[in-house]
Amino acid sequence: MRALVIDDSRAMRRIVSGILAGLGYETAEAGDGRQALDRLEAGETFDLACIDWNMPVMNGLEFVVAVRANRAWRDLTMMMVTTESEHGQIVRALAAGAHEYLIKPFTPDAMRDKLELLGLVPLSLSVGEPA
Amino acid sequence: MSALTAFDGTQVSAIAEEVFAALIDGEPGHLYLTAPTSPSDLVDPLYAWVDMHADVSGRVLLSVDTGTAHELARALLRMGAEEPVEDEDLVDAFGEVANVVGGNLKALLPVQGTLTLPRVSATPPSDEGTTLVDRIPLAWRGRSFDISIWQL
Repeated sequence: MRALVIDDSRAMRRIVSGILAGLGYETAEAGDGRQALDRLEAGETFDLACIDWNMPVMNGLEFVVAVRANRAWRDLTMMMVTTESEHGQIVRALAAGAHEYLIKPFTPDAMRDKLELLGLVPLSLSVGEPA
Repeated sequence: MSALTAFDGTQVSAIAEEVFAALIDGEPGHLYLTAPTSPSDLVDPLYAWVDMHADVSGRVLLSVDTGTAHELARALLRMGAEEPVEDEDLVDAFGEVANVVGGNLKALLPVQGTLTLPRVSATPPSDEGTTLVDRIPLAWRGRSFDISIWQL
């Protein structure tokens, strides 16, 4: 499976990518929503996008809206990974088309739990052994 | 009393401890409240901050020695003790810590608003027209880690 990690923080991209790699994902990175859209428009395909909210150029919510406006990308599962933890913000993101929401700070186990809910943990890793 | 003055040091400390346990240390106990010190005691200081704008505007400012910021970046990026930290990684990692701490503090405000992108500098932001709400003296792995809350 392939994941696109979208965050303006290189540190956070590295952390999220490391967790996903441990779960068997091949990962790619983008520093903002625009860069992420560029990768999709170039024809790259991903099973999962992990999306920060507060980013320069194009924020995470704008990215979610743009993806949902294009039927060609309807199979992309989108998970917000952000400090925006207020209930109204979560509702906005889910209403715009995000599938899940993970609040920073998070542990690797918390991310894995969210991906299990989405059915996006490789089967060999979803039966209890550590990643 | 403004919403910002409703923050108490225990709340701020608890949030910071949670951030460090989850993102940096992998376990609790490495960040803790300590005796107050003066920010001027910092050697070669580095500052990271985010501003919150809602019905009130505030700033969350982190102040550390640059050496502490290097250790923080190494820990966040899972780097080896001898591995050099590039300036870009230093700024990025310290800024992200401010972003996560500030974002979680913003969630405590009764009226939600926006959070600015983090800024990192060797000089503190201007305090002109601002009011210090609280200063929370913390230590991370024995090193001074100061969080202050300002009303803008």
